[in-house]
Amino acid sequence: MKKTTKAIWNVGLIAALLILLFLLEQVLPSSSMLFMVLKKGAIYALVAVSMNLLNGFTGLFSLGQAGFMLLGAYTYAILTIPVESRASVYQYFDGGIVQFSIPVPLALIAGGIVAAVFAFLIGLPVLRLKSDYLAIATLGFAEIIRAVFQWDKLGPLTNGSNLLRNFPTFNSVLYPFIVAGICIGLIVLLINSTYGRAFKAIRDDEIAAEAMGINLAHHKQLAFVISSFFAGVSGGLLAMYQTTIQASMFRSSMTYEILLIVVIGGIGSITGSCIGSFLFIACSEWWLRFLDNSNLYIGDFHLTFMRPGFRKVVFSIIIMAIVLFYRKGIMGDREFSIEAVQKFFRKRFKKKQTVEGGSSHE
Amino acid sequence: MKKRILSVLLAAAMLSTLLAGCERKPEAAADGTGSADGNVVRIGVFEPASGDNGAGGKQETLGIQYANYVTPTVEIGGEEYTVQLDIVDNESSNDKAPSAAATLVSDGVSVVLGSYGSGVSIAGSDTFKEAGIPVIGVTCTNPQITEGNTHYFRICFLDPFQGTVLANFANDNFGAKKAYVLTKLGDDYSTGLGYYFTQAFEALGGEVVEETFQEGNSDFTSYITSAKNEGADVFFAPSSTEVAALLVEQAASQGLEIPLLAGDTWDSNVILNAAEGKNVDIYVSTFYQEGGDPEFDAGIKEWINSDSTAKANNGGDDTVSGLTVMGYDAYYVALEALKAAGSTDPAAVNEALWDVTYSGVSGDISFNEIGDANRDAAYIKHANTETGAWDFVAEQSVAQ
Repeated sequence: MKKTTKAIWNVGLIAALLILLFLLEQVLPSSSMLFMVLKKGAIYALVAVSMNLLNGFTGLFSLGQAGFMLLGAYTYAILTIPVESRASVYQYFDGGIVQFSIPVPLALIAGGIVAAVFAFLIGLPVLRLKSDYLAIATLGFAEIIRAVFQWDKLGPLTNGSNLLRNFPTFNSVLYPFIVAGICIGLIVLLINSTYGRAFKAIRDDEIAAEAMGINLAHHKQLAFVISSFFAGVSGGLLAMYQTTIQASMFRSSMTYEILLIVVIGGIGSITGSCIGSFLFIACSEWWLRFLDNSNLYIGDFHLTFMRPGFRKVVFSIIIMAIVLFYRKGIMGDREFSIEAVQKFFRKRFKKKQTVEGGSSHE
Repeated sequence: MKKRILSVLLAAAMLSTLLAGCERKPEAAADGTGSADGNVVRIGVFEPASGDNGAGGKQETLGIQYANYVTPTVEIGGEEYTVQLDIVDNESSNDKAPSAAATLVSDGVSVVLGSYGSGVSIAGSDTFKEAGIPVIGVTCTNPQITEGNTHYFRICFLDPFQGTVLANFANDNFGAKKAYVLTKLGDDYSTGLGYYFTQAFEALGGEVVEETFQEGNSDFTSYITSAKNEGADVFFAPSSTEVAALLVEQAASQGLEIPLLAGDTWDSNVILNAAEGKNVDIYVSTFYQEGGDPEFDAGIKEWINSDSTAKANNGGDDTVSGLTVMGYDAYYVALEALKAAGSTDPAAVNEALWDVTYSGVSGDISFNEIGDANRDAAYIKHANTETGAWDFVAEQSVAQ
């Protein structure tokens, strides 16, 4: 397929998706679970892709994602809470020290930039480490950031242990889709550029890459900073989705959730991370919730083992099965593309025809 | 090597969800009746069953379930409706709260009860607001929950009130001049209550030494030593029950002689079990003192003892917690609102709630213009280390 037709197909698909979402919003009530899942799924897709950029494409095993999301979320919230409601939000700190607010898009970008700056600083020493040691160092960084943000002495800025709320949020499901879509698009462009090829070279063999003239330290730093930037943006989106944020929710278990999405989707596959994210969120928050219902009947048979919490057992078993028997994840390291789908159907079609005894194709 | 740590981490993540999944909760008391045909009104129960506040959330849910067991039907607009409880677990987690709330909304509940834990209540609030569904907070004490909202009500007292009550109590009963306040970093309930206590105590002319501990801390000996060295007269520790159990043990082993003070979270048999047979002096402020309504006590004890899951959820014995009583009262407030509204429409129920008055087990309940309950007294209880039960000390109020 030619490059232009491919581009047209892609644009058409994205437009169709957005129109579908728009139509759905007109039809279904806004509190429907579908929208909850779609919103959160889009946000997690962005952070999963940003983690994939680091883990899957550059081969840097980092576990600092929750920390960078925290930075983005707090920056967003601190900068956008309307001045008039600051007194009630910062109730223990006399309204806080930040007495202005900036427009939402700027605040989202600022969130990304703060995360990126921190990533740059932490990257200077930490990126000299490899594999496990890097993972442990970044995990520690995320925990430290969380503790610092809860610190009372920083209360006038971060509101200490208390919630931040009342900042502008989005209502339409299109908002997170468009923002996350743009960000993921940028990451895809980056991966397909010379930088992206350099990242992959580093992942495959550092020494060979260095011999080819790739500046290792520079490229690793670049990947780390860019990944953190997008994690920061998705943190801001998460804050908007949740309407309130608190440092204590950005635990390491949040990083593990994102890591699970990346693994389920396929390490090194952008579309895999997106699909994985929607599936993961839908399963954990929506589809399996009926298992918590203790009044479930099949005919007259009362399923007595169903009780609140049972869904988590089932969910864990599903994840275990995926990791054990489907180790490459949904997509492996391939990407979803129109071409692949066409090829798939053409193959099927051809086979069918030959089975029917016809050699009459085209 | 990378693969190995990855697999270890994944296994850890899975194990943690598995363990969380194994926690048990009672089956809805309305078994079987709910799915029968006829008129059904759904009441949402937005409570944690897992996570940090799982234990407290379960005790609160227990009260709601008992109330539903006692009164499974309600008359709305001249017709008999069966009440069906719709229990959803918000996992004590702010990022799970919106989707848990959305589950209730899409199930079409008329009114929601909950949640234990102020953070999740605030996090779920906007989802209910958007859907126009009223919520009755049971024991969430943070002022920010109802402030500026017309759909969130609450039947308990607030942190500023509770903090002041405890500060007054410390001053009146022990003549305390110096208080040691230990709060948990990152916990809005703990730091909030600590803040109001400090304010009130300093206003009374006392001196406060404040310290915070990190999440996951299990060694409190250094804090206890420092309280002793500072020469504090009371030790105030608003915290979750898990921390409380450890703190009580270590205070006893270190021979902390000053009284331990805490808020409503400590009204739990976990504390009683930890304190039994030890030399500690524990006072808590709470919503209800067992014995306040003997008929209710006898009824709920019988129900808890007859149902093994209910008993497990109550911490393994039949001590009636203040949380359970509040859950019980909240259910009846919801029924009153439904009756007054004359329909199951959430908007009508919301409108009716403002004027609801109800004489509950925990006292008279009515709402002020913010949606908070008009409460002017809290019960102070003392842990009896010999019998393992709560002793009633005083009904403390403040001039506000």
